[in-house]
Amino acid sequence: MKSDYLSDKALKGLNTIGDIMVPAGEGFPSFSELGCIEHIDTVVCHAPADDIQDLNAFLGLLSMCPKFIVRIVINTTEKARKSEGKLAPTLRLLNAALRGIVFTLYYSGKHGEEYMGQTPPDIIGFELKCVPED
Amino acid sequence: MYDAIVVGSGAAGGVLAYHLNKSGAKVLLLEAGKNFRAKTFPKTEAEASPELFWGGGIEFDKRTTMGFLRARCLGGTTIVNQALLDRFDDVAFDDWRADTGVDWFSQDGLVRDYDAVEEKLEFTYIKEEHRNKSAHKFIDGMEKTGYEWGALRRGQGNCATDQGQDCIDCLNGCKRNSKQSTLVGYIQDAEREGLEIKCDFSVEHFEDNGDTVKVYGRHSGQDKVFETKKLILSAGSFGTTQILLKAELKHRLSAVGTGFTTHPQFLMFGVFDEIIDAHKGAFQSVKSDDPRFRPRGFKLENVYAQPIGISQLSPAIGLDFHRYMMKYRHISCVEVAVRDEATGTIALNSKGRLTIQKDLTDQDKSRSQDGLSIIREVLSAAGAKEVIEGDIHFGLHLMGGARMGVSADDSVVDPEFKVHGMDNVMVCDSSLFPNAPGINPSLTIMAMAHKLATQLSDGKVG
Repeated sequence: MKSDYLSDKALKGLNTIGDIMVPAGEGFPSFSELGCIEHIDTVVCHAPADDIQDLNAFLGLLSMCPKFIVRIVINTTEKARKSEGKLAPTLRLLNAALRGIVFTLYYSGKHGEEYMGQTPPDIIGFELKCVPED
Repeated sequence: MYDAIVVGSGAAGGVLAYHLNKSGAKVLLLEAGKNFRAKTFPKTEAEASPELFWGGGIEFDKRTTMGFLRARCLGGTTIVNQALLDRFDDVAFDDWRADTGVDWFSQDGLVRDYDAVEEKLEFTYIKEEHRNKSAHKFIDGMEKTGYEWGALRRGQGNCATDQGQDCIDCLNGCKRNSKQSTLVGYIQDAEREGLEIKCDFSVEHFEDNGDTVKVYGRHSGQDKVFETKKLILSAGSFGTTQILLKAELKHRLSAVGTGFTTHPQFLMFGVFDEIIDAHKGAFQSVKSDDPRFRPRGFKLENVYAQPIGISQLSPAIGLDFHRYMMKYRHISCVEVAVRDEATGTIALNSKGRLTIQKDLTDQDKSRSQDGLSIIREVLSAAGAKEVIEGDIHFGLHLMGGARMGVSADDSVVDPEFKVHGMDNVMVCDSSLFPNAPGINPSLTIMAMAHKLATQLSDGKVG
């Protein structure tokens, strides 16, 4: 797949991160199995250009790291949600950005061309009815 | 040359543009976001966040502990809020008067304006038979623990929740023209009467030339300049303050960017054995109405969000994330909103981007803990088997940054809404709030806009 905003390396890094944060199990597909990354541009299209640049650099770097290193990085940002310290605000911001992208794509109801199963909103039984007025 | 340019189309801007246009003035309404309508609002939660909100969905304070939701679309935050429209009480106004010396900060001082807004909009209380199961759990818990509750007064027309409509969808913009946003209540009417609107327009700065004001901005990638007799900044606490800071007013008015407050909201989830479906039907219909809570500085509301919103609050990733999300339909959610101290600041960094400092004070923390302990009690009494506390809190009511007052030494705007020392530049939105009222601010912002519009229409513009 191609993105107008993220490089191929960054997309690879995002899939690695996505599968750590949202693995297969409990009846759910993994982030990469779902293929929701194909819709990444709808999530990042309004981000400021310098944020996109930072995201590309960070995800590109992680794409070159072994998975256990990526896992350590993700777990460190998760722990920062409840910790103090000089680096904590930056780690929390990173955590919010990663959760924002990964969880938003995962629960967007969208999937990749090859995925044939239920989407996560279907699995949790989420449905909405809103009929516009004529 | 315009008689008036209004920057921002939310609770204040929409009302101002409508009334000024109606008075015969030549008005331009500028909005940084897109021009969505009932038929064109984003269809899904995933599309709505980046399309309708600043920061791609959420912005954070410097410490990344508080998330701010700030709409960016025609109609502003009135498009994405829950249209909970209450008048301020004496507690709020007495504090404001004491803090600022502004004598019209009172229920009487705004009564004509409240009346006018309430006459223009539709209001309703959700009937008992149409409340959803989450609301019933909240009521049950409140009654079992001896706390008083009440129905929320909502600005809405025909939501048809009695016909199975799920109104949580209107957090992404109401597809039925039912929610009483300024788009529905004011802007569309004004547009039919000739109001000029420019969306996707970001105001960069302004220049006060004495008799007129030049407004500089960008539209579709091009620089634009407009000239007006009166400039009214109604871009909300962040937007208005950002424009004032870019105009370098901080050098002259030290109060610019100070006194930021936000009614921080802390969520707690009660997980029940049975299906609750808190997202179905009229999902937000009740609140605490206990006289003991007001002096303690908090209130409770029954709330929820769609799956993407709830997923962001997951206490874990990995398989535990899936287990948490499988509880989605079994959760009843209650939030505590704190009447916080106005100690936050709004500033610009070297790139001209907003930086928000909003640390909770000891009093704020104490009030949130007080409220959360009551929620825990309430949810448990209602039968929750597990209670999960969110680890991030939110600011949805962004207030302060250009406080109103009588003296330029400690305020930005005078009691006639004029920036101190400027006859033709005014501020009218939540940024002029001197401290947190502890009550949903939309209706009062609209009433203030009506007050200013009346003042200007009485011969001072056009």
